[in-house]
Amino acid sequence: MKSLRRFLSRLGHFATRRRDDERLRQEIAEHIALQTEENLRAGLSPVEARRQAMLKFGGVEAMKQDYRAQHGLLLIENFLGDLRNAARTISRMPALAAVIIFSLAIGIGVNTTIFSWIQMILFQPLPAVSGASNFLLVEPRSETSGYPGASWLEYRDLQSRLPALRDLIASQMVPFNVGEPGKTERTHGQLVSGNFFSALGLKPAIGRFIRPEEAERLGTEPVVVISYDYWQTRFRGSPTTLGQTLRVNERDLTIIGVAPKEFQGTLVPLKFELWAPATMTPALLGGVRDLDDRTSRAFSLIGMLKPGATRQQAQTEFTNAMAQLARDYPDASAGIGGEILSFWEAPRGPQRLIISGLAILQGVMLLLLLAVCGNTANLMLARGSTRQREMAVRIALGAGRWRIASLVLSENMLLAFLGAGLGAAFAVWGTTALRIAPMIGAFPILFPTKVDEFTLAFAIVLGIACGLIFSAAPALHLARLDPQNGLRSGPNTPPRSRARKVLMGVEVGLASVVLIAAALFLDSFRNARQTDPRFRPEGVLLAAYDLSGRNPDDASDREFAARLLERLRSLPDVEAAAIATNVPVDLHGIPGRPFTVQGRVRTELGQDRAISNTVTPGYFKVMGIPLLEGNDFAEMRDKASPPQAIVNEEFVSRYLNGADAIGRQLQARAGTFTIIGVARNSVYDALGEPAQPAMYFSYRDRPSYQGEIHLKTRSGNEAALTSETRAVLRELDPMLPLYDVRTLSQHIDRNLYLRRIPARMFAVLGPLLLGLAAIGIYAVVSYGVARRTREIGVRLAFGATSKRVVLQIIRENLGAIAQGTAVGWLLALLISLHVFPNGPFDSGVFLGVPTLLLAVATLACWLPARRASQIDPMAALRHE
Amino acid sequence: MQQKTDVLQGTLALMVLKTLDVLGPLHGYGIARRIERISGDLLAVNQGTLYPVLLKLEQEGAIASEWGASENNRKARFYRLTRAGRKQLQAETKDWEQTATIIGRFFDAKAEDLS
Repeated sequence: MKSLRRFLSRLGHFATRRRDDERLRQEIAEHIALQTEENLRAGLSPVEARRQAMLKFGGVEAMKQDYRAQHGLLLIENFLGDLRNAARTISRMPALAAVIIFSLAIGIGVNTTIFSWIQMILFQPLPAVSGASNFLLVEPRSETSGYPGASWLEYRDLQSRLPALRDLIASQMVPFNVGEPGKTERTHGQLVSGNFFSALGLKPAIGRFIRPEEAERLGTEPVVVISYDYWQTRFRGSPTTLGQTLRVNERDLTIIGVAPKEFQGTLVPLKFELWAPATMTPALLGGVRDLDDRTSRAFSLIGMLKPGATRQQAQTEFTNAMAQLARDYPDASAGIGGEILSFWEAPRGPQRLIISGLAILQGVMLLLLLAVCGNTANLMLARGSTRQREMAVRIALGAGRWRIASLVLSENMLLAFLGAGLGAAFAVWGTTALRIAPMIGAFPILFPTKVDEFTLAFAIVLGIACGLIFSAAPALHLARLDPQNGLRSGPNTPPRSRARKVLMGVEVGLASVVLIAAALFLDSFRNARQTDPRFRPEGVLLAAYDLSGRNPDDASDREFAARLLERLRSLPDVEAAAIATNVPVDLHGIPGRPFTVQGRVRTELGQDRAISNTVTPGYFKVMGIPLLEGNDFAEMRDKASPPQAIVNEEFVSRYLNGADAIGRQLQARAGTFTIIGVARNSVYDALGEPAQPAMYFSYRDRPSYQGEIHLKTRSGNEAALTSETRAVLRELDPMLPLYDVRTLSQHIDRNLYLRRIPARMFAVLGPLLLGLAAIGIYAVVSYGVARRTREIGVRLAFGATSKRVVLQIIRENLGAIAQGTAVGWLLALLISLHVFPNGPFDSGVFLGVPTLLLAVATLACWLPARRASQIDPMAALRHE
Repeated sequence: MQQKTDVLQGTLALMVLKTLDVLGPLHGYGIARRIERISGDLLAVNQGTLYPVLLKLEQEGAIASEWGASENNRKARFYRLTRAGRKQLQAETKDWEQTATIIGRFFDAKAEDLS
């Protein structure tokens, strides 16, 4: 209480310092006047009376200082003084300050940007949904083929069987063609369970959301909720939007509401625009049986724990429920269990792609920041040493050790904060620039990352940490300074500083860790790009069409594809043309389907599965996948041949033990097919994946209302075919849009997008760090050399050659650098073994990076050393 | 050195409080004179040290001050004891007496008492 009162009073006085000084002055004058009078009365002469009075009063200045210390807030006053001083000092070294601030800003900016992604995944996986991190993924898991998703009927069963979860939500993402025929526009939406919006706790921007009863009966409620952005861009945010109809996949849906501003669906970073009741699925997707077929696992489930329930409880209930379902429906659910997972543990889909590697990236970037700190510490230390005299004078004049340390600290803190501020600005720019990724496949992507108070706090904490780290060494060094020594020692007696060399070693070590990590990332990215996909992406154009709005049937789909292919093949530049339902290396993967094949007896429960793609004849030619045995599919209009299938090598070796496959019967859900060929293995889901069994069906037997056109050009300029392809499609059906036109190479590149971000970061940051390290080494060495000018002069005078001098200086400094590099190298090796336990040892990187680093370090030593060795010995000896 | 000042300031504060308690409102010079007269040498050298102590006491609320006229009609700052200051004086007097008694006992102690 008492101290609080004192503090407040001091704060008041701090503000009114000038007036208080005046009061003290008056009081002192009064005191001395009274004493003088007293002395006069005692019989002293006026001059002596005043002198005695002053003597008795004591040191006025010391008292005033003491008084002020009592009076104001000494700490703050000192702090402000330090800050002014720091600003002055920094403005006297603009180049050095610029290097420090800029390098810190880069380090902090990159870390903050990555943190904003991590923060999004951990704390805000569903934008606009409060408490989104409480939602859990409810993922059925198959023993053999990962996480297949849940069927609608399964969802209905689970709803009542997982009492630990409050609301279980189901959703399925679907492409929509919106608009009148001829003017349709491709967009994406989610088909959702009735409790979708209420369980997420969302409030509509206007209108209302889908009601639970609207997702009960099949296809009876043609309603749709649109996204805020969609409302703004397509309806200009007009309130009369409600009640209007939107033509979606040739069905009229009534707009009943608009989702809140930032909501973009439950599969972040995918951005959805429309939400319709799941019961509309058959109506919107041309009669698919997603709602009554238990093997059609199209839905994703999420749910929130009830208060008091534990995740363990939910997991147990889920496991039991799935076991019961497997007993009740062995055909559809045998061998399928389930896992309750957090969003950041997402086992599939786009989320999975972001999360993997983000933590490593953050770790490496923190090391980078640490290396920047080491560099800065070194620069400040080198600079601090030139200020020994200044500091010695300060100490001699009575500045305490703490005052000296705080002086240095405030300078460095100011630098750190400037760096953090600029870094935060970089982060704002970085997160915005990285928010909107190019469309992956046909899906619009939006990373809901932002620099908010958490991220800013993170940047500030980083700034403080950096400031403390790189202040410690110089502050300690100067505070330990012996003023006598500091004053006496001119530039001629260099105090050898081990700290500088150790720091230089540490910095180089950290730099080598980061550089090796960067090189590994870049290398793996380049490898991924150069991995042989075992098909030929060059010269192939892709484009998609979708007949779902045409009320298609098998015959019309087949006829359309046949006519389209005929026309395309007649184009002069087309070497081969085909249509397929799936494109390899797609973000969402190619579906795996259950089958049985003649000659294979499955012993364990469940079903065999293989990747399944439906293609037209000519597909293998377009893709450059050789058929090892048998023939291509029969022509589209062939009516004589039985249903056909082609399998790949892996299929044969895994399921048929390498026996002859041709002629065997393959039983799939769509019917029975005769195997007529064996294709070479190729990549299906991701570059570098292990071989997967695959089966191809023919469009002739299983026509589809949607297809990906594959065109192989003669000239190799596949992009030039775009307009001709559009023209061909327009001739066939003037209303049908051609969407997602891209080359196969582009398609692959896009799906490497998430790996490209870190690769690009490293491509920029690696050289930058190398440059910083070089600057740091250069500064330390040239400082050390400058202090030894006289010694060097003596050596030269005694006949040392300049070459010898240069070599010696390089040797002295390179020792510390080499040690640092070695430690960093070992650390990087350990990390890489930990992260990629089975990965190949990348000798190029592990040899190349240290070599490069040492070469740059040698150059950074050599430059100042050479300059020193070329001085005139006489001038050096006179040097003072 | 620091410590010595602390002790000095601590006792000085007590002396100031006691002086104001006995004599009523007084200006800085008056306080200094009184303390000097009673304590002998303690304040003979540095009367100036009194002012930071006065300030500290004022900040703590033990004393209050205002401008007034001194005996010979000069402008002077007069300090007076507040109610809180009186309480503090009582408490500190008791503390001080207790400490003095204890220390006194130690000084009186003989070798056998301490062994």
